[in-house]
Amino acid sequence: MINTLLELKKVTYKYKNNIHLNKINLQIKLGDKIALLGKTGAGKSILISILNGTIKPTTGVVKLFNTDFDKSSIYHRGKISTIWQDLRLIEDLSVEQNVNCGLLGKESFLFAFKNLLNISSFKKAHQYMKLCYVNELIYSKNIKKISGGQKQQVAIARSLIQGSDILLADEPLNNLDPKLASNIKNLLLISKNKIRLPNTILISSHRLDLLDGFNRIIGMKKGQILFDVEKTKLKKFHLDKIY
Amino acid sequence: MNNLKLNPSSISFLPALVIIPLVYQLLNNFHIGGFELLKDFIISALNPKIDNEIIITLLTRINETIFIAFLSWLISIIFGILFGILSSDILFNILDLPIFFKVLIKLFLTFIRSIHEVIWGLILMQIYGISSSIGIIAICIPYIAINAKVFSEQIDTINLKNIESIKQINGIRFSSLITLVWSPVIKTFKNFGLYRLECAIRSTAILGLFGIGGIGTSIFLSFQTLNFSELWTYLWGLSFLIIISKYLLKRFNLSNTSKEFLIFFIIALFCIILFSVSFFFYFLYNKNQTTIISLNNLLTSNYSFISYDLLKLIIETIILSLYSTALAISIPPIFIFIFNNKIGIIVIRSISFIFRLIPPPITILILLMFNDPSISLAALTLGLHNAGITSNLLLANLNNQDNKQYIAMKSLGLKKRSSWLFGLFVKQSNSYLAYCAYRSDIIIRETAILGVIGSIGLGWQLQESLSSFAWNEIIIILFAYSSIAIVGELINDKIKRNLA
Repeated sequence: MINTLLELKKVTYKYKNNIHLNKINLQIKLGDKIALLGKTGAGKSILISILNGTIKPTTGVVKLFNTDFDKSSIYHRGKISTIWQDLRLIEDLSVEQNVNCGLLGKESFLFAFKNLLNISSFKKAHQYMKLCYVNELIYSKNIKKISGGQKQQVAIARSLIQGSDILLADEPLNNLDPKLASNIKNLLLISKNKIRLPNTILISSHRLDLLDGFNRIIGMKKGQILFDVEKTKLKKFHLDKIY
Repeated sequence: MNNLKLNPSSISFLPALVIIPLVYQLLNNFHIGGFELLKDFIISALNPKIDNEIIITLLTRINETIFIAFLSWLISIIFGILFGILSSDILFNILDLPIFFKVLIKLFLTFIRSIHEVIWGLILMQIYGISSSIGIIAICIPYIAINAKVFSEQIDTINLKNIESIKQINGIRFSSLITLVWSPVIKTFKNFGLYRLECAIRSTAILGLFGIGGIGTSIFLSFQTLNFSELWTYLWGLSFLIIISKYLLKRFNLSNTSKEFLIFFIIALFCIILFSVSFFFYFLYNKNQTTIISLNNLLTSNYSFISYDLLKLIIETIILSLYSTALAISIPPIFIFIFNNKIGIIVIRSISFIFRLIPPPITILILLMFNDPSISLAALTLGLHNAGITSNLLLANLNNQDNKQYIAMKSLGLKKRSSWLFGLFVKQSNSYLAYCAYRSDIIIRETAILGVIGSIGLGWQLQESLSSFAWNEIIIILFAYSSIAIVGELINDKIKRNLA
C-alpha cells in the first residue's frame, strides 16, 4: 500500500521575478492531519495550489501516489479535494446545486445537466450539508443571498461530498463563529461518521486556538518551510519563528 | 488658457457637431413638393384605417411576421449559444483544444456577422426566389453570429479561479463545461436573448419591405400607393406586436417551471436543432438545382473590370456610418438635457418610440418627399432610428440610477439642468458610450438598407449588381462591406475596452 500520497521535491515557484515558494520539500502521508501555519503572504495558498495541481512549480517535482503529477490519472487526481480561501462557489446557482457540483467527478454528464436544471436528486447533498451544519432554510437559496459564513459551510460541504482521500483546505474556518469553527474542525479531524470523509488533511489556518486534533504542524515564512513537527513537539519558539 | 480635456460626458455631446454639415447639405437639397404628403402621413398616424378587410389582412400579416420572426429568433438563439460556447476561451481551456480552431470559428462568425440580414436576404432571394424560408435563413445567418459573439463574451467573463476549482473536481470535461457556462448563458439569454426577439420582429418587417412577406410587405405596398391611413394601421399593428412580445417574454421564467415543462422544453429544443439543421441541408442541396449553377457563376464569371467607383462608395458608406453614429450618440443626451422636465421626457419617449417603430427604409422614403437623396439624408434617417434606441436605453438607466449625487449637486445651488448633467449623466456616460460603441457596429451594417433605398454607398451598388446578376461585383461589394464592418468592430472593441 502506498503510504506517501503527495510529495514535493525541491519545489520553487516564481511569478514575475518574485519567489513565492523556495525549494520546498514535503511529504503528505496517509492519515496525516496537518495544520499549515504562517503569516499572510507566507506562501500557504500557493503551496496548496501546487499540491492540488492547479499551478505548476517553476522548478522541482510534485508526485501524487508516487507518480509525477502531470502523468497521474484523473482517477488519482480525483482523490484530492480543495476548499479554496475565496471559496469559488458558482454565484448564480443555489446552495444545493453548488454542493452537488462536488459530485461531478463521479457522476455522468446527464447528472450535471439535471443539476443545472434543478431536477437532480439532492439527497446526498442534503446529507453533507447537514453534516456541515448548513441551515435547512438556505438549501434552495441562491449563493448570492447567503452570508459569508454560510458560504464557507457550503464550500466545505462541496469539497466533502467529492469523497476524496486528501483534503486541502485554505483557511476554511475563517468566516465561522468560534463554536461552528470548532465543530467543523472536529468534523474534519476527529469525527467518526458513517459518511465517508477524507482521512488525510492539510489545513492552512491563522487560528492557533484550533490546533487540537492535528498530528503535524508545518510553519511557513517567506515561501519556505521553517518547521515541520509533530503537534506534541510544537513549542513557543516554533511559533515565534513564523509570527 | 487650459487645454481641452475630453471625458466620456463631453464625448457624448461633441458628435452633435456633425449637425452643421448635415443641415447644410439638407438645406441645399430641400424642396417643398412633398409637404402635403407629409401632412397626410402625420395626420394618418391618429387616423388609421380600421375595417374588417384590413383587420383580417393585418392579422394574417402579423401571423406571418410572428412565424418568421419567432422561428428565426429561436434558431438564432439556440445556435448562437452553441457557437458562443464553441468560440469561447473557456471551451478551449477545459477541453485542451488547439486555439487554431477558435480562431477559425471566430473568423467565420465575424464574416457572416459583418453582413446585414437585408443583404443576405437580397442575395438569397436572387438565388432561390421569394419565400418565408429565405427570410428565416437571412435573419438567422447574421443573428447566429451576433448572438454567438455576445454569449461568448459573457461566457468569457467567468472568473479563471472558478474554472480552476471546477476543473479540480476532475469530472467529465463536458460536465465541468456545462456547469460553468450555464449561469452566464441563462443570464445573457434573459438580458440579451429575449430582447433579440424584438430585433427579429423589426428585421422581419424590414425584410418584408423587400418582399419576403409579413407586415413589412403590407407597409411597403401601402406606402407605394400612398395610402397612409392603411400604412399606420400596419405600423400600429407592428408596435402592438413588439410590445406584446416584450411583455410575454418578460414573464417567461425558466427557474420557476415544473419538471415536466422543463423536460418538454429540452425535448423541444433538441427537435428545433434537429429540424433546423436538416432543413438547412435540405434547402441547400435539394430546393433548387439552379443554385449550384448560380453559385458556380461566382467563381466562373469573367467580368474583366469593375464598372463603378468602389473607393467612392466605400468612403460614402464610412461617412454615412460616422454621421449616423454621431447623431445616435449625441441626440439623446442633448434633448434630455434641454427638455429636462416630466412633459419633455414623455415627449422624448414618444418620439423615440416612433423612430424605433418606423423601419428606416420607410423613414427615408418619407424624407425623400422633400429632399434629394444624399449622405446627409440617409445619415439623418439612420441616426434618428438609432437615437430612438439609445435614448430609450439612456432614459431607462437614468431612471434606475440613485439620485444622491443629483441631490448633492442641487444642494450646492446648481440649476436643474446642471444638476442633471453633473449629478446623473456623468455617472452614466461611460456605460452609455460603451453601448453606443456596440450600437455603431449595428449602424455600419444598417447602412446597407439605407444604401439600397437611399441611393447611397455600397448598398445601392449591391442592389444594382444583384439586379444584373453581376456576381463578381457582388463578391467585391460583400468583401468591402465585410471589411468596413470588421474594422469598425475592432475599433469599437478597443473603445469598449478603454471605457470598461
